[in-house]
Amino acid sequence: MAEQSAPPVQQTYSLNLGPQHPSTHGVLRVLLTMDGEFIVEADPIIGYAHRGHEKMAESRTYLQFMPNCSRMDYLSGMIYNHGFCLAVEKLAGIVPPERARYIRVICSELNRISSHLLWFGTFVMDLGGFTPFLYCFDDRERILDILDRVSGSRLTYSYCRFGGVARDIDEVFVQATRDFIQRLRSRWTDYHNLVTKNVIFIHRTRGVGVIDRETARQFGVTGPNLRACGVPFDMRKVEPYEVYDRFDFQVPTGTRGDALDRYCVRLEEMEQSCRIIEQALDQLPEGPHRLEGLRLKIKPRRGEVYFAFESARGLTAYYLVSDGSAYPYRCHVRVPSYGNLHCLTEVLKETLVADAISILGSIDIVVPEIDR
Amino acid sequence: MSEVLKRWVGEERLRLEPDFEKGVVLSAEVPRDVLHEVMRTFETEGWYLESLTGLDFKDTLELVYHMNRYEPSARIALRVPVPRGEGVPTVSDVYRSALWLEREVWEFFGIVFTGHPDLRPLLLPEDADFHPHRKDFGRVHAHRRREEIYG
Repeated sequence: MAEQSAPPVQQTYSLNLGPQHPSTHGVLRVLLTMDGEFIVEADPIIGYAHRGHEKMAESRTYLQFMPNCSRMDYLSGMIYNHGFCLAVEKLAGIVPPERARYIRVICSELNRISSHLLWFGTFVMDLGGFTPFLYCFDDRERILDILDRVSGSRLTYSYCRFGGVARDIDEVFVQATRDFIQRLRSRWTDYHNLVTKNVIFIHRTRGVGVIDRETARQFGVTGPNLRACGVPFDMRKVEPYEVYDRFDFQVPTGTRGDALDRYCVRLEEMEQSCRIIEQALDQLPEGPHRLEGLRLKIKPRRGEVYFAFESARGLTAYYLVSDGSAYPYRCHVRVPSYGNLHCLTEVLKETLVADAISILGSIDIVVPEIDR
Repeated sequence: MSEVLKRWVGEERLRLEPDFEKGVVLSAEVPRDVLHEVMRTFETEGWYLESLTGLDFKDTLELVYHMNRYEPSARIALRVPVPRGEGVPTVSDVYRSALWLEREVWEFFGIVFTGHPDLRPLLLPEDADFHPHRKDFGRVHAHRRREEIYG
Protein backbone atom coordinates (compact mmCIF):
# COMPACT_ATOMS: atom_id res chain seq x y z
CA MET A 1 0.00 0.00 0.00
CA ALA A 2 1.41 3.34 -1.07
CA GLU A 3 2.18 5.63 1.75
CA GLN A 4 0.03 8.76 1.70
CA SER A 5 2.09 11.91 1.56
CA ALA A 6 1.33 14.47 4.21
CA PRO A 7 -0.73 17.45 3.05
CA PRO A 8 1.44 20.48 2.32
CA VAL A 9 1.81 22.74 5.31
CA GLN A 10 0.92 26.36 4.65
CA GLN A 11 4.01 28.41 5.45
CA THR A 12 2.64 31.89 5.05
CA TYR A 13 -0.63 33.67 5.74
CA SER A 14 -2.25 36.90 4.66
CA LEU A 15 -2.95 39.79 6.97
CA ASN A 16 -4.69 43.09 6.36
CA LEU A 17 -2.73 45.76 8.17
CA GLY A 18 -4.63 48.41 10.04
CA PRO A 19 -6.51 50.63 10.22
CA GLN A 20 -3.78 51.95 12.45
CA HIS A 21 -2.50 55.18 11.04
CA PRO A 22 -5.24 57.86 10.94
CA SER A 23 -4.74 58.11 7.21
CA THR A 24 -5.60 54.46 6.63
CA HIS A 25 -9.21 54.46 7.80
CA GLY A 26 -11.03 53.32 4.73
CA VAL A 27 -8.62 54.65 2.14
CA LEU A 28 -5.57 52.42 2.36
CA ARG A 29 -5.22 48.71 2.88
CA VAL A 30 -1.85 47.04 3.11
CA LEU A 31 -2.11 43.35 2.32
CA LEU A 32 0.75 41.56 4.04
CA THR A 33 1.95 38.07 3.37
CA MET A 34 3.37 36.95 6.68
CA ASP A 35 5.73 34.26 7.81
CA GLY A 36 5.23 34.18 11.55
CA GLU A 37 5.84 37.74 12.67
CA PHE A 38 7.90 38.63 9.63
CA ILE A 39 6.56 40.24 6.48
CA VAL A 40 7.33 38.36 3.29
CA GLU A 41 5.50 40.63 0.92
CA ALA A 42 3.56 43.86 1.26
CA ASP A 43 1.01 45.06 -1.26
CA PRO A 44 -0.54 48.48 -0.61
CA ILE A 45 -4.01 48.53 -2.15
CA ILE A 46 -5.12 52.03 -3.09
CA GLY A 47 -7.80 53.68 -5.18
CA TYR A 48 -10.53 53.94 -2.56
CA ALA A 49 -10.41 57.73 -2.71
CA HIS A 50 -10.10 58.09 -6.46
CA ARG A 51 -12.24 61.01 -7.57
CA GLY A 52 -10.78 61.73 -10.98
CA HIS A 53 -9.44 65.23 -10.38
CA GLU A 54 -7.37 65.08 -13.54
CA LYS A 55 -10.45 64.29 -15.58
CA MET A 56 -12.47 67.00 -13.85
CA ALA A 57 -9.84 69.51 -14.91
CA GLU A 58 -10.65 68.89 -18.56
CA SER A 59 -14.17 70.30 -18.22
CA ARG A 60 -13.37 73.18 -15.88
CA THR A 61 -11.72 76.52 -16.39
CA TYR A 62 -8.37 77.05 -14.76
CA LEU A 63 -9.86 79.04 -11.91
CA GLN A 64 -12.63 76.51 -11.38
CA PHE A 65 -10.00 73.83 -10.88
CA MET A 66 -8.37 75.76 -8.05
CA PRO A 67 -10.54 74.26 -5.26
CA ASN A 68 -9.75 70.77 -6.54
CA CYS A 69 -6.05 71.30 -5.88
CA SER A 70 -6.41 71.66 -2.15
CA ARG A 71 -8.61 68.58 -2.03
CA MET A 72 -5.86 66.36 -3.39
CA ASP A 73 -3.53 66.86 -0.47
CA TYR A 74 -5.82 68.28 2.15
CA LEU A 75 -2.97 68.75 4.61
CA SER A 76 -0.95 71.08 2.43
CA GLY A 77 -3.73 72.57 0.34
CA MET A 78 -2.16 76.01 0.36
CA ILE A 79 1.03 74.70 -1.22
CA TYR A 80 -0.94 72.85 -3.88
CA ASN A 81 -2.92 75.99 -4.72
CA HIS A 82 0.30 77.94 -4.78
CA GLY A 83 1.93 75.51 -7.19
CA PHE A 84 -1.08 75.42 -9.47
CA CYS A 85 -1.13 79.22 -9.58
CA LEU A 86 2.54 79.31 -10.51
CA ALA A 87 2.07 76.70 -13.23
CA VAL A 88 -0.81 78.58 -14.83
CA GLU A 89 0.94 81.92 -14.48
CA LYS A 90 3.97 80.49 -16.22
CA LEU A 91 1.78 79.20 -19.02
CA ALA A 92 -0.16 82.45 -19.37
CA GLY A 93 2.76 84.78 -18.78
CA ILE A 94 1.28 86.50 -15.73
CA VAL A 95 3.69 88.11 -13.27
CA PRO A 96 2.15 88.66 -9.83
CA PRO A 97 3.11 91.71 -7.74
CA GLU A 98 5.93 91.39 -5.22
CA ARG A 99 3.74 91.63 -2.15
CA ALA A 100 1.58 88.75 -3.34
CA ARG A 101 4.61 86.55 -3.85
CA TYR A 102 5.75 87.13 -0.29
CA ILE A 103 2.27 86.51 1.10
CA ARG A 104 2.09 83.25 -0.80
CA VAL A 105 5.42 82.09 0.57
CA ILE A 106 4.43 82.97 4.13
CA CYS A 107 1.14 81.11 3.87
CA SER A 108 2.74 78.11 2.16
CA GLU A 109 5.35 77.78 4.87
CA LEU A 110 2.74 78.12 7.60
CA ASN A 111 0.88 75.34 5.87
CA ARG A 112 4.02 73.23 5.71
CA ILE A 113 4.50 73.60 9.46
CA SER A 114 0.88 72.65 10.14
CA SER A 115 1.24 69.59 7.92
CA HIS A 116 4.44 68.51 9.65
CA LEU A 117 2.86 69.09 13.05
CA LEU A 118 -0.01 66.82 12.16
CA TRP A 119 2.42 64.19 10.93
CA PHE A 120 4.40 64.53 14.15
CA GLY A 121 1.33 63.94 16.28
CA THR A 122 0.00 60.98 14.33
CA PHE A 123 3.39 59.34 13.99
CA VAL A 124 4.03 59.40 17.70
CA MET A 125 0.47 58.26 18.32
CA ASP A 126 1.07 55.30 16.03
CA LEU A 127 3.90 54.33 18.31
CA GLY A 128 1.69 54.54 21.38
CA GLY A 129 2.42 58.03 22.65
CA PHE A 130 -0.87 59.87 22.88
CA THR A 131 0.19 63.04 24.73
CA PRO A 132 2.38 64.73 22.06
CA PHE A 133 -0.59 64.53 19.72
CA LEU A 134 -2.55 66.89 21.96
CA TYR A 135 0.37 69.30 22.25
CA CYS A 136 0.99 69.63 18.55
CA PHE A 137 -2.68 69.88 17.67
CA ASP A 138 -2.79 72.79 20.06
CA ASP A 139 -0.01 74.43 18.04
CA ARG A 140 -1.50 73.48 14.73
CA GLU A 141 -4.81 75.00 15.71
CA ARG A 142 -3.14 78.41 15.89
CA ILE A 143 -1.90 78.12 12.31
CA LEU A 144 -5.36 77.12 11.16
CA ASP A 145 -6.77 80.18 12.93
CA ILE A 146 -4.25 82.44 11.25
CA LEU A 147 -4.93 81.01 7.81
CA ASP A 148 -8.67 80.88 8.47
CA ARG A 149 -8.69 84.58 9.20
CA VAL A 150 -7.03 85.47 5.92
CA SER A 151 -8.48 82.86 3.57
CA GLY A 152 -11.81 81.99 5.14
CA SER A 153 -11.24 78.28 5.55
CA ARG A 154 -9.23 75.98 7.73
CA LEU A 155 -8.08 73.25 5.41
CA THR A 156 -9.02 73.72 1.76
CA TYR A 157 -7.91 77.28 1.32
CA SER A 158 -8.09 78.21 -2.39
CA TYR A 159 -6.46 81.44 -1.28
CA CYS A 160 -4.11 82.02 -4.21
CA ARG A 161 -5.37 83.63 -7.37
CA PHE A 162 -3.75 83.97 -10.75
CA GLY A 163 -1.78 87.18 -10.40
CA GLY A 164 -1.91 87.42 -6.64
CA VAL A 165 -3.87 86.30 -3.62
CA ALA A 166 -7.53 86.67 -2.79
CA ARG A 167 -7.19 89.03 0.18
CA ASP A 168 -4.45 91.21 1.55
CA ILE A 169 -2.89 90.47 4.92
CA ASP A 170 -2.91 93.05 7.69
CA GLU A 171 -1.03 93.92 10.87
CA VAL A 172 -3.04 91.43 12.91
CA PHE A 173 -1.92 88.61 10.62
CA VAL A 174 1.71 89.67 10.82
CA GLN A 175 1.59 89.94 14.60
CA ALA A 176 -0.23 86.62 15.02
CA THR A 177 2.33 84.89 12.82
CA ARG A 178 5.25 86.34 14.76
CA ASP A 179 3.63 85.32 18.03
CA PHE A 180 3.06 81.83 16.72
CA ILE A 181 6.68 81.38 15.66
CA GLN A 182 7.86 82.56 19.06
CA ARG A 183 5.49 80.16 20.75
CA LEU A 184 6.47 77.23 18.53
CA ARG A 185 10.16 77.81 19.30
CA SER A 186 9.45 77.67 22.99
CA ARG A 187 7.74 74.32 22.44
CA TRP A 188 10.75 72.58 20.87
CA THR A 189 12.12 71.77 24.33
CA ASP A 190 8.86 70.07 25.25
CA TYR A 191 8.81 68.08 22.04
CA HIS A 192 12.39 66.96 22.39
CA ASN A 193 11.91 66.01 26.02
CA LEU A 194 8.69 64.19 25.30
CA VAL A 195 9.65 62.35 22.15
CA THR A 196 13.15 62.78 20.77
CA LYS A 197 14.83 61.74 24.00
CA ASN A 198 12.30 59.03 24.73
CA VAL A 199 14.09 55.69 24.84
CA ILE A 200 11.06 53.69 23.65
CA PHE A 201 10.68 56.00 20.68
CA ILE A 202 14.34 55.69 19.76
CA HIS A 203 14.24 51.91 19.99
CA ARG A 204 11.24 51.75 17.71
CA THR A 205 12.67 54.05 15.05
CA ARG A 206 16.45 53.77 14.91
CA GLY A 207 17.53 51.44 12.12
CA VAL A 208 13.91 50.72 11.26
CA GLY A 209 12.68 51.01 7.69
CA VAL A 210 15.91 52.09 6.06
CA ILE A 211 15.42 53.62 2.61
CA ASP A 212 18.79 53.93 0.96
CA ARG A 213 19.64 56.28 -1.86
CA GLU A 214 19.35 53.64 -4.57
CA THR A 215 15.93 52.40 -3.44
CA ALA A 216 14.75 55.99 -3.24
CA ARG A 217 15.89 56.66 -6.78
CA GLN A 218 14.32 53.46 -8.11
CA PHE A 219 10.93 54.33 -6.63
CA GLY A 220 11.05 58.07 -7.18
CA VAL A 221 10.94 58.88 -3.47
CA THR A 222 11.19 62.61 -2.78
CA GLY A 223 10.81 65.07 0.04
CA PRO A 224 11.87 64.52 3.65
CA ASN A 225 12.02 60.76 3.03
CA LEU A 226 14.71 61.29 0.41
CA ARG A 227 16.55 63.94 2.38
CA ALA A 228 16.72 61.56 5.33
CA CYS A 229 19.08 59.35 3.33
CA GLY A 230 21.45 62.21 2.70
CA VAL A 231 20.36 63.73 -0.61
CA PRO A 232 19.85 67.50 -0.22
CA PHE A 233 17.13 67.57 -2.87
CA ASP A 234 14.60 70.30 -2.20
CA MET A 235 12.82 72.12 -5.01
CA ARG A 236 13.02 75.35 -3.05
CA LYS A 237 16.81 75.15 -3.33
CA VAL A 238 17.57 73.30 -6.55
CA GLU A 239 14.96 75.03 -8.71
CA PRO A 240 14.06 78.11 -6.67
CA TYR A 241 10.58 79.29 -7.56
CA GLU A 242 8.64 82.30 -6.32
CA VAL A 243 11.00 84.24 -4.00
CA TYR A 244 12.67 81.35 -2.20
CA ASP A 245 16.09 82.31 -3.53
CA ARG A 246 15.99 85.50 -1.45
CA PHE A 247 15.85 83.70 1.89
CA ASP A 248 18.58 82.14 3.92
CA PHE A 249 17.58 78.64 4.96
CA GLN A 250 19.10 75.20 5.08
CA VAL A 251 17.98 71.88 3.70
CA PRO A 252 18.27 69.45 6.60
CA THR A 253 19.46 65.95 5.69
CA GLY A 254 19.99 62.70 7.53
CA THR A 255 22.57 59.98 7.14
CA ARG A 256 21.02 56.57 7.76
CA GLY A 257 17.66 56.98 6.04
CA ASP A 258 15.74 55.24 8.83
CA ALA A 259 12.55 56.31 10.57
CA LEU A 260 14.47 58.30 13.18
CA ASP A 261 16.23 60.30 10.47
CA ARG A 262 12.94 61.05 8.77
CA TYR A 263 11.62 62.27 12.09
CA CYS A 264 14.63 64.51 12.71
CA VAL A 265 14.57 65.94 9.18
CA ARG A 266 10.91 66.96 9.49
CA LEU A 267 11.40 68.52 12.88
CA GLU A 268 14.33 70.55 11.58
CA GLU A 269 12.31 71.53 8.50
CA MET A 270 9.71 73.17 10.71
CA GLU A 271 12.42 75.34 12.21
CA GLN A 272 13.68 76.25 8.73
CA SER A 273 10.15 77.16 7.67
CA CYS A 274 9.98 79.46 10.69
CA ARG A 275 13.16 81.14 9.50
CA ILE A 276 11.73 81.64 6.01
CA ILE A 277 8.53 83.13 7.40
CA GLU A 278 10.45 85.52 9.65
CA GLN A 279 12.60 86.75 6.78
CA ALA A 280 9.59 87.10 4.53
CA LEU A 281 7.75 89.12 7.16
CA ASP A 282 10.77 91.38 7.57
CA GLN A 283 11.11 91.96 3.84
CA LEU A 284 7.37 92.16 3.13
CA PRO A 285 7.00 94.92 0.52
CA GLU A 286 4.11 97.35 0.23
CA GLY A 287 1.94 97.47 -2.84
CA PRO A 288 -1.01 95.70 -4.38
CA HIS A 289 -1.73 92.12 -3.41
CA ARG A 290 -3.28 91.23 -6.74
CA LEU A 291 -3.08 92.23 -10.38
CA GLU A 292 -6.06 94.26 -11.46
CA GLY A 293 -7.92 93.77 -14.71
CA LEU A 294 -7.21 90.08 -15.27
CA ARG A 295 -10.00 88.12 -16.90
CA LEU A 296 -11.58 85.48 -14.74
CA LYS A 297 -11.60 83.05 -17.63
CA ILE A 298 -7.96 83.22 -18.58
CA LYS A 299 -6.85 81.66 -21.84
CA PRO A 300 -3.17 80.71 -21.83
CA ARG A 301 -1.18 80.24 -25.01
CA ARG A 302 -1.04 76.88 -26.73
CA GLY A 303 1.62 74.52 -25.48
CA GLU A 304 2.52 72.89 -22.21
CA VAL A 305 4.18 73.55 -18.91
CA TYR A 306 5.67 71.24 -16.31
CA PHE A 307 5.99 73.01 -13.02
CA ALA A 308 7.61 71.32 -10.02
CA PHE A 309 7.49 72.62 -6.47
CA GLU A 310 8.06 71.33 -2.97
CA SER A 311 4.97 70.37 -1.03
CA ALA A 312 5.10 69.13 2.55
CA ARG A 313 5.64 65.57 1.35
CA GLY A 314 8.04 66.12 -1.51
CA LEU A 315 8.32 67.01 -5.15
CA THR A 316 4.92 67.82 -6.61
CA ALA A 317 4.44 68.89 -10.20
CA TYR A 318 1.64 70.09 -12.41
CA TYR A 319 1.87 69.11 -16.04
CA LEU A 320 -0.55 71.28 -17.97
CA VAL A 321 -1.23 71.00 -21.69
CA SER A 322 -3.17 73.90 -23.14
CA ASP A 323 -4.91 74.14 -26.50
CA GLY A 324 -5.37 77.89 -26.17
CA SER A 325 -8.90 77.66 -24.80
CA ALA A 326 -10.10 78.45 -21.29
CA TYR A 327 -10.05 74.77 -20.35
CA PRO A 328 -6.89 72.71 -19.85
CA TYR A 329 -6.48 69.99 -22.46
CA ARG A 330 -4.72 67.78 -19.96
CA CYS A 331 -3.79 68.31 -16.34
CA HIS A 332 -1.54 65.75 -14.75
CA VAL A 333 -0.37 65.97 -11.16
CA ARG A 334 2.83 64.28 -10.09
CA VAL A 335 2.31 63.55 -6.41
CA PRO A 336 5.09 62.74 -3.94
CA SER A 337 3.19 60.21 -1.83
CA TYR A 338 2.94 57.97 -4.88
CA GLY A 339 6.60 57.01 -4.82
CA ASN A 340 6.80 57.22 -1.05
CA LEU A 341 4.06 54.64 -0.63
CA HIS A 342 5.19 52.46 -3.51
CA CYS A 343 8.62 52.02 -1.95
CA LEU A 344 6.93 50.31 1.02
CA THR A 345 6.68 47.17 -1.12
CA GLU A 346 10.45 47.00 -0.86
CA VAL A 347 11.06 48.50 2.58
CA LEU A 348 8.52 46.37 4.44
CA LYS A 349 10.09 43.12 3.26
CA GLU A 350 11.57 41.03 6.06
CA THR A 351 10.58 43.46 8.79
CA LEU A 352 8.46 42.73 11.84
CA VAL A 353 4.81 43.65 11.70
CA ALA A 354 5.30 45.98 14.67
CA ASP A 355 7.93 47.87 12.69
CA ALA A 356 5.57 48.14 9.75
CA ILE A 357 3.41 50.45 11.86
CA SER A 358 6.40 52.62 12.63
CA ILE A 359 7.53 52.70 8.99
CA LEU A 360 4.08 53.50 7.65
CA GLY A 361 3.82 56.37 10.09
CA SER A 362 7.27 57.74 9.36
CA ILE A 363 6.68 57.89 5.59
CA ASP A 364 3.92 60.51 6.01
CA ILE A 365 1.46 59.51 3.34
CA VAL A 366 -1.73 61.25 2.32
CA VAL A 367 -3.75 58.76 0.35
CA PRO A 368 -6.25 61.10 -1.40
CA GLU A 369 -3.26 62.73 -3.02
CA ILE A 370 -2.15 59.39 -4.50
CA ASP A 371 -5.62 58.45 -5.68
CA ARG A 372 -6.42 61.92 -7.03
CA MET B 1 23.15 63.19 -21.82
CA SER B 2 22.09 65.11 -24.92
CA GLU B 3 24.95 63.41 -26.78
CA VAL B 4 23.70 60.01 -25.72
CA LEU B 5 20.16 60.87 -26.74
CA LYS B 6 21.39 62.15 -30.08
CA ARG B 7 22.94 58.79 -30.73
CA TRP B 8 19.79 56.90 -29.82
CA VAL B 9 17.05 58.96 -31.37
CA GLY B 10 18.81 61.21 -33.88
CA GLU B 11 19.30 64.95 -33.76
CA GLU B 12 16.11 65.88 -35.56
CA ARG B 13 14.02 64.38 -32.77
CA LEU B 14 15.70 66.47 -30.04
CA ARG B 15 14.31 69.81 -28.97
CA LEU B 16 16.24 72.12 -26.70
CA GLU B 17 14.14 74.31 -24.40
CA PRO B 18 16.76 76.96 -23.64
CA ASP B 19 14.70 79.26 -21.43
CA PHE B 20 13.57 76.42 -19.17
CA GLU B 21 10.11 77.84 -19.61
CA LYS B 22 8.33 74.55 -19.92
CA GLY B 23 10.05 73.08 -16.89
CA VAL B 24 12.26 70.82 -18.97
CA VAL B 25 15.62 71.60 -20.53
CA LEU B 26 15.36 69.09 -23.32
CA SER B 27 12.63 67.05 -24.89
CA ALA B 28 13.17 64.14 -27.21
CA GLU B 29 10.83 62.08 -29.29
CA VAL B 30 11.78 58.47 -28.69
CA PRO B 31 10.64 55.65 -30.99
CA ARG B 32 9.16 52.71 -29.18
CA ASP B 33 11.84 50.21 -30.19
CA VAL B 34 14.71 52.10 -28.53
CA LEU B 35 12.77 53.28 -25.46
CA HIS B 36 14.03 50.46 -23.29
CA GLU B 37 17.69 51.05 -24.14
CA VAL B 38 17.35 54.80 -23.66
CA MET B 39 15.81 54.23 -20.23
CA ARG B 40 18.58 51.81 -19.33
CA THR B 41 21.12 54.53 -20.16
CA PHE B 42 19.27 57.06 -18.02
CA GLU B 43 19.28 54.58 -15.17
CA THR B 44 23.02 53.95 -15.27
CA GLU B 45 23.65 57.71 -15.49
CA GLY B 46 21.84 58.21 -12.18
CA TRP B 47 18.54 59.71 -13.32
CA TYR B 48 15.17 58.84 -11.89
CA LEU B 49 11.74 58.56 -13.46
CA GLU B 50 9.78 61.44 -12.02
CA SER B 51 6.48 61.22 -13.82
CA LEU B 52 4.79 59.22 -16.53
CA THR B 53 1.56 60.22 -18.13
CA GLY B 54 -0.42 59.88 -21.32
CA LEU B 55 -2.00 62.31 -23.74
CA ASP B 56 -4.94 61.58 -26.01
CA PHE B 57 -4.94 63.31 -29.40
CA LYS B 58 -7.31 62.67 -32.25
CA ASP B 59 -4.59 61.15 -34.39
CA THR B 60 -2.44 59.40 -31.81
CA LEU B 61 -1.87 58.61 -28.17
CA GLU B 62 1.33 59.79 -26.60
CA LEU B 63 3.34 58.92 -23.50
CA VAL B 64 5.43 61.54 -21.71
CA TYR B 65 8.22 60.39 -19.40
CA HIS B 66 9.73 63.12 -17.25
CA MET B 67 13.24 62.25 -16.15
CA ASN B 68 15.12 64.12 -13.44
CA ARG B 69 18.27 63.77 -11.37
CA TYR B 70 19.24 64.98 -7.93
CA GLU B 71 22.25 67.22 -8.40
CA PRO B 72 22.20 69.27 -10.45
CA SER B 73 18.55 69.00 -11.27
CA ALA B 74 17.91 68.94 -15.01
CA ARG B 75 14.70 67.63 -16.44
CA ILE B 76 14.39 65.79 -19.73
CA ALA B 77 11.04 64.87 -21.24
CA LEU B 78 10.86 61.75 -23.38
CA ARG B 79 7.85 61.67 -25.67
CA VAL B 80 6.73 58.37 -27.12
CA PRO B 81 3.96 58.41 -29.73
CA VAL B 82 1.77 55.32 -29.54
CA PRO B 83 -0.76 54.60 -32.30
CA ARG B 84 -4.17 53.64 -30.96
CA GLY B 85 -4.48 49.96 -30.14
CA GLU B 86 -0.74 49.29 -30.03
CA GLY B 87 1.53 48.56 -27.09
CA VAL B 88 4.74 49.89 -25.61
CA PRO B 89 7.59 47.89 -24.07
CA THR B 90 7.59 48.16 -20.30
CA VAL B 91 10.39 49.90 -18.42
CA SER B 92 9.39 48.46 -15.08
CA ASP B 93 12.48 46.23 -15.12
CA VAL B 94 14.62 49.38 -15.31
CA TYR B 95 12.74 51.61 -12.88
CA ARG B 96 10.68 50.02 -10.14
CA SER B 97 8.51 53.12 -9.93
CA ALA B 98 7.22 52.29 -13.41
CA LEU B 99 5.39 49.29 -11.95
CA TRP B 100 2.69 51.57 -10.60
CA LEU B 101 3.02 54.41 -13.09
CA GLU B 102 2.46 52.07 -16.02
CA ARG B 103 -0.48 50.41 -14.33
CA GLU B 104 -2.06 53.82 -13.94
CA VAL B 105 -1.50 54.83 -17.54
CA TRP B 106 -2.76 51.46 -18.71
CA GLU B 107 -6.05 51.73 -16.84
CA PHE B 108 -6.60 55.41 -17.72
CA PHE B 109 -5.59 55.32 -21.39
CA GLY B 110 -5.74 51.68 -22.38
CA ILE B 111 -2.12 51.66 -23.51
CA VAL B 112 -0.76 48.14 -22.99
CA PHE B 113 2.76 47.83 -21.64
CA THR B 114 4.14 44.62 -23.03
CA GLY B 115 6.15 42.64 -20.54
CA HIS B 116 4.67 44.33 -17.47
CA PRO B 117 4.38 41.62 -14.79
CA ASP B 118 1.24 42.82 -13.06
CA LEU B 119 -1.26 44.84 -15.12
CA ARG B 120 -4.10 45.06 -12.60
CA PRO B 121 -6.14 48.24 -12.16
CA LEU B 122 -4.47 50.47 -9.60
CA LEU B 123 -6.89 53.28 -8.85
CA LEU B 124 -10.04 52.10 -10.63
CA PRO B 125 -12.25 49.24 -9.39
CA GLU B 126 -10.85 45.82 -10.20
CA ASP B 127 -13.58 45.09 -12.77
CA ALA B 128 -13.26 48.41 -14.61
CA ASP B 129 -13.42 47.96 -18.39
CA PHE B 130 -13.28 51.63 -19.39
CA HIS B 131 -10.41 54.08 -19.86
CA PRO B 132 -11.54 57.34 -18.28
CA HIS B 133 -8.78 59.63 -19.50
CA ARG B 134 -9.52 58.98 -23.11
CA LYS B 135 -11.34 61.86 -24.66
CA ASP B 136 -14.31 59.72 -25.67
CA PHE B 137 -15.16 59.12 -22.02
CA GLY B 138 -17.24 61.48 -19.94
CA ARG B 139 -17.42 65.22 -20.25
CA VAL B 140 -14.54 66.90 -22.00
CA HIS B 141 -14.15 70.26 -23.60
CA ALA B 142 -12.26 69.41 -26.77
CA HIS B 143 -10.53 66.62 -28.65
CA ARG B 144 -7.76 67.90 -30.88
CA ARG B 145 -5.10 66.74 -33.25
CA ARG B 146 -1.52 66.86 -32.02
CA GLU B 147 -0.40 69.70 -34.28
CA GLU B 148 -3.27 71.88 -33.09
CA ILE B 149 -1.47 72.12 -29.77
CA TYR B 150 2.20 71.78 -30.60
CA GLY B 151 2.19 72.90 -34.23
